[in-house]
Amino acid sequence: MAHARPIATTRSATGIPTPRLAIWWILASEVVIFGGLLGAYLMHRIGHPEWAEAASHTQTWIGAVNTFVLLTSSFTAVLAHQAAEKGKGKEAAKLLAFTILGALTFLMIKSYEWTIEIMAGYTITANTFWSFYYTAAGLHALHVIAGAIIMGFIAVDAYRGRELHRVEIIGIYWHFVDVVWIFLFPLLYIAK
Amino acid sequence: MSENNEQRDEHGHDDGHHVNYFKIYLILLVLFGISVIGPEVGAVTGLRWITLITAFGIAFVKARLVVNNFMHLAWEQRIAKWLLASSLILLLLFVAGVAPDVMNHEGNNWENVAAKQAVERGLAAASGYSEEEAESEGPLEGVIASGFSAQNSFGQICATCHGVGGEGDGAAGAALDPAPASFIDPVFWQGRDRDRIITVIRDGAAAVGGSALMAPWGALYTDDQLEQMADYVMSFRPNQ
Repeated sequence: MAHARPIATTRSATGIPTPRLAIWWILASEVVIFGGLLGAYLMHRIGHPEWAEAASHTQTWIGAVNTFVLLTSSFTAVLAHQAAEKGKGKEAAKLLAFTILGALTFLMIKSYEWTIEIMAGYTITANTFWSFYYTAAGLHALHVIAGAIIMGFIAVDAYRGRELHRVEIIGIYWHFVDVVWIFLFPLLYIAK
Repeated sequence: MSENNEQRDEHGHDDGHHVNYFKIYLILLVLFGISVIGPEVGAVTGLRWITLITAFGIAFVKARLVVNNFMHLAWEQRIAKWLLASSLILLLLFVAGVAPDVMNHEGNNWENVAAKQAVERGLAAASGYSEEEAESEGPLEGVIASGFSAQNSFGQICATCHGVGGEGDGAAGAALDPAPASFIDPVFWQGRDRDRIITVIRDGAAAVGGSALMAPWGALYTDDQLEQMADYVMSFRPNQ
């Protein structure tokens, strides 16, 4: 069987490699998805002064630790990209593994946080603030989970020196997930 | 996004894009530190602009650093930037179009009654009841959804007929026949124990041959909460 590649992966009218163009398309749609959600939250937050009371129950220090974790995982993701550019597949795989570790740490902290909140009665149906809180952070967490799984496949390939260009693509996605959290953190935790 | 980012110039035309990633990471960490400490300073000094700038202004600076240096958008073909910019513009159009209606609760010829009531209820709850209850949308939802306290639940549900002091003198109970039980009456407690109280709260008085006017409330409480409710009712019992 010949190793024919689909034509779309070799053709590029934009001057951008097709996989990278694809990830920019995905992120362009993500901007509207997360932006719409956060925009709606922000507008309601301003229109509803009583939300300040509910917002005062979010745990700033947990959000802060998670911000640090995601920033660090973004750093290891970009180092993985750098290693892949130099053709160092094993090093890229190792750095991706660190990034996955960051994702898992983030998710564990998130589970701990949500457990405390749900036990205290702050569930997704408690009121509209908490509905937004769980929807926004939950959608973000789904992105973290998806990214970590895909990164696992890419790391295995990279370790064998295959498909190294994918390290950059998953990196771009991962940085976007980081950027979303950069905005979620002040919106959900800092603005009391 | 603004153009006032001083980290930008040093690699603006660097086609090899040798970014010092560690340096960017350190800058991000410092900005992160400021975004955590700044709002604390803002809260202590009461200067709201400090909170806004350190929390939200810095978020934009951090996002820009990540997008340009980690995602390498700074060196990407222009079409990718336009693609993302189109999304952002659509988003801003959406927000700008909806914001006046969402953020205000009344206009020239309209009034958002539900939103106004929600604000009123929320603020009243925040100042009146305990902290946990402030999230409540209504009396019943408040008890179920937010932090549970037998005393608060009694006050919101039982007291309407049995009275806040458990004397059977709640406003809604005045017209009932038979009258709501008074928990401070020693006669009432003859032959009634904790298990029976739990059963009646859960299944209604009709379940033990009493008045159907005492409705079953089991759906509102967990087993543990039922016991707490019973204990609270028992606390009215005289001579204990």
